This record gives sequence, structure tokens and C-alpha cells, in this order.
Amino acid sequence: MFEKNASEKAMPETAASRTTAPEQIAVSIRHLSKSFDGVEVLRDVDLEVREGDVVTILGSSGSGKSTLLRCINWLEQPDRGSIHIGGQRIGVNDAGRPMPVRELARVRARTGMVFQSFNLWPHLNVLHNVTEAPIHVLGKSKAEAEAHARELLEKVGMSPKADAYPNTLSGGQKQRVAIARALAMQPQVMLFDEPTSALDPELVGEVLSVIKDLSAEGYTMVIVTHEMAFARAVSDQVVFLEKGLIIEKADPETFFTNPSTERVRKFLERDES
Amino acid sequence: MNASAWQMLQEGAWTTVWISGVSIALGVTAGLILALIRIARIPVVDQILVLYISLARATPLVTLALFIFLSAPTFGLNLDRNVAGILALTLNTTAFNAEIWRSAFRNFSREQREAAMAAGMTPWITFRRIMLPQMMITSLPGLINEMSFLIKGSPAIAVIGIVDLTRVTNRISAVTYEPLPPILVACALYMAAIGCLVWLQRIAERRANRLAT
Repeated sequence: MFEKNASEKAMPETAASRTTAPEQIAVSIRHLSKSFDGVEVLRDVDLEVREGDVVTILGSSGSGKSTLLRCINWLEQPDRGSIHIGGQRIGVNDAGRPMPVRELARVRARTGMVFQSFNLWPHLNVLHNVTEAPIHVLGKSKAEAEAHARELLEKVGMSPKADAYPNTLSGGQKQRVAIARALAMQPQVMLFDEPTSALDPELVGEVLSVIKDLSAEGYTMVIVTHEMAFARAVSDQVVFLEKGLIIEKADPETFFTNPSTERVRKFLERDES
Repeated sequence: MNASAWQMLQEGAWTTVWISGVSIALGVTAGLILALIRIARIPVVDQILVLYISLARATPLVTLALFIFLSAPTFGLNLDRNVAGILALTLNTTAFNAEIWRSAFRNFSREQREAAMAAGMTPWITFRRIMLPQMMITSLPGLINEMSFLIKGSPAIAVIGIVDLTRVTNRISAVTYEPLPPILVACALYMAAIGCLVWLQRIAERRANRLAT
């Protein structure tokens, strides 16, 4: 059920590169477990994200889906298990010890994260929000970073607001800037933590359409969301989490039309009503 | 008031300005460093800093200035009175500034820090590029408040023989027997200095509005 025809989705470059190297794994999660105050929020989770794939994580609130996503870039530290990003283990070094902060930061830079509450840096304008990490983490020149940032702002439809400060933007605009900021690091995988949950309903569409565009361009993405129609349209793989366990893992067609578990069927019914 | 009286006033004003300015610069920086050390919660060091901060906040400036100036020789130090004055003002203001910085640090949002870490920033880059600029904006009203307290408290250093803007009015009236004109000019100058700070504060508050998302 992990097999999926690459040609199903329009992906100009990466689709080609993926068929030549189908085993490229962007994120590999093995036996991941995590407890908060004695409550197990993740139990022995295994997940693989192939390069160019979009994986959405569904589940009711408290199912552990945000925690799983936040473990991928080590914002939460799992108790057991391992995570590799592009073959590089995160959080733990070769000697099995916690990674020194600088090394951890380097591995984290391979991921880009978009938060539910945007978390733009309010003291910087839109352009500088996007250039900050490329300049100070990747060591790019100011000119190079700004040129790239302007391209990305164009892509998310925010170029006219390059000089604006975050507090003057709507939620949808903030989230589009946050997406550009994450893309600016040229990450191997983009992580979206409920990117539209804090938005007014009429602003959800503009953010989802940007994410859809990215999937068409072949970006690797892991998305935690409650937007079912969106998940169905954009995903290569849908994962359903229940009490920290992955109880269903399927391609979107199977997941939404013929799920194998009663729990998922109920979850989908409730969503329709 | 004659020309020499004006000149004396000018010199007194300059003394107040530079001694306060140096103390403010040192005090704001030292306050930040102390706040960071306290946040690191190093045993013993932390207790010593708590003791220092409560002592410095509880001691009147005049007493502190006298103590430093008079006790220095006991430790084999021959302190210049200006240095002693700056030391007293700095020790006093640092204690207050440390608390202002510390609360800015403690109240800094976790989400902001996470966004920086997720972008691959090390803790140091996060502090320098994301936290400190925002902490400066949020702390500035409190810091400027403390600066104006320092300027208004600075006549205390006259007790160790520094001829500042207040002390000099005394000297002038001792010659002219007209105490009112010099003290009025001194008041006007203090008000001008505080006025500058209030103006700065207004700019700071406008920038702080930007952070209120």
C-alpha cells in the first residue's frame, strides 16, 4: 500500500528524479515513542517519507500528531526511537549522545517548519523575516538572500508586502510569509503543523492553495491538518494517528473511500456531517 | 549672573551629563550580563547576585558613593572621585536594570524561540538576532525610566566632592549671594535632559506596538 504511481501527480523535475532513484528517503522515523508526564503520546511510530512525497497526518486532537511532527525537527525530544532526515540522524550523534547544539542546528536546517500560530519575528519586516536565517545560518550574502527571498515572496503572492511588518498583515498573509521563510532555507522536507487552524475560514483557501502549488512543484512535505478535502487532494500518503499509534497508513483514495479500520470510518463520517 | 557663573554652570552640567552617560551605558550592559548569568542559575554565583541586587537596591546612593570613596583606601585603592562616582551610580542602576532585563528574558515567547530553532539557528544566533532585539524593545520603557532616575539621583555624587550641576549652583550663589538664578537654570537643564529621555521613550513605545501582534 506504499506503492504509488509517480505520474499521478504533475511534478516536472522531481518526478523524473524520483523514478530514477525511487528509494530516496527524505524522512525515516523508527520506533518512535514519547511520553508527557507518564502519558504515552507516541507509541512505536514508524513512518517513511519519500522524496517528493506529501504525507498528511490526520487524527483527532490529542492523538499525538503535532508531537510527531515536532519530533522530526527535534522541537520535542522522543524518549525512544530514531529519526533520520536525508540519511542524517537528528538529535543523537554517532556516539549515541545528545547532539551538541551547533550540530543539532545544522541538521534542523534541513527541515523547514510552518507553525499553526505563524510565529513570524515581529521586529523584522516581511523581507527580513525571510532572509534572516539564510544570512545568519547558511552564511548567504545579503544580496543573494534578498534576491531569493523576493522570488519566494512572489511565489506565495506576498511581494507587495515585502517592506511591511508582520503586525500589519492578516493571518493568511502571515502564514504565506511563514511558508516563504521556511522555503528560504531550501529544506529537504517542509513540516506543516496545522497551518490553517488559526485562520479565519475565508483565509484558509489562500494558504492551502500555496501549499498545493508546492506539492505540484515536488516539495517533500509532512502536513498535520484537519482539512480533509485538502488532504485528499494533495497527499501521496495519509497517516491516521490514534492515541499515539498509527492505525491506518494508506494512499488518499483508499484512505478516504475504503479505510480498513472502523475508527477511521467513524472519523470520516463525523467530518462529513 | 556673570560670564564666569555661566561657565561654571556649563562645566557642572557637563560633569553631570558625562558621568551619568557613562554610568547608564555601563549599567545597561552590566544589567544584561547579570540577568543572563542569573538565568543560567549557576549555584553560589546566583545567590551572590541576588544578595548584590537586594543590597544595591536597598542602599541610598549618597551612602553608596561615600562608602565606595571612603573604603577604597582600606583596600589599597586610590580611587579618583569621578571613578568612585561612576562606580556608585553604576552599581546602583545595574541592580535595577538586571531585573528589567531578566523579566524581558523570562517573558520571551517560546513560539518565537521555536521558530528560530526550527530555522536552524544556534542558541547564540537566536539570542542575538531574535531575542535581544525584541527584549530591547520591550525593556526600553523600563530602562529609560531607570535612566531618568539615575540622572535625578546623580547629585548624590556631590557628597564625595564632585562638582555636578546641582553642586555648582551652590558654589555660584556663595559668590553672588543670589541662589535663585543658578538653581533655576539647573532645573531647566535637568528638565531638558529628562525631556530627551521622555521623547526617546515615546519612540520606543511606538516601536513596541509593532511587537504586539
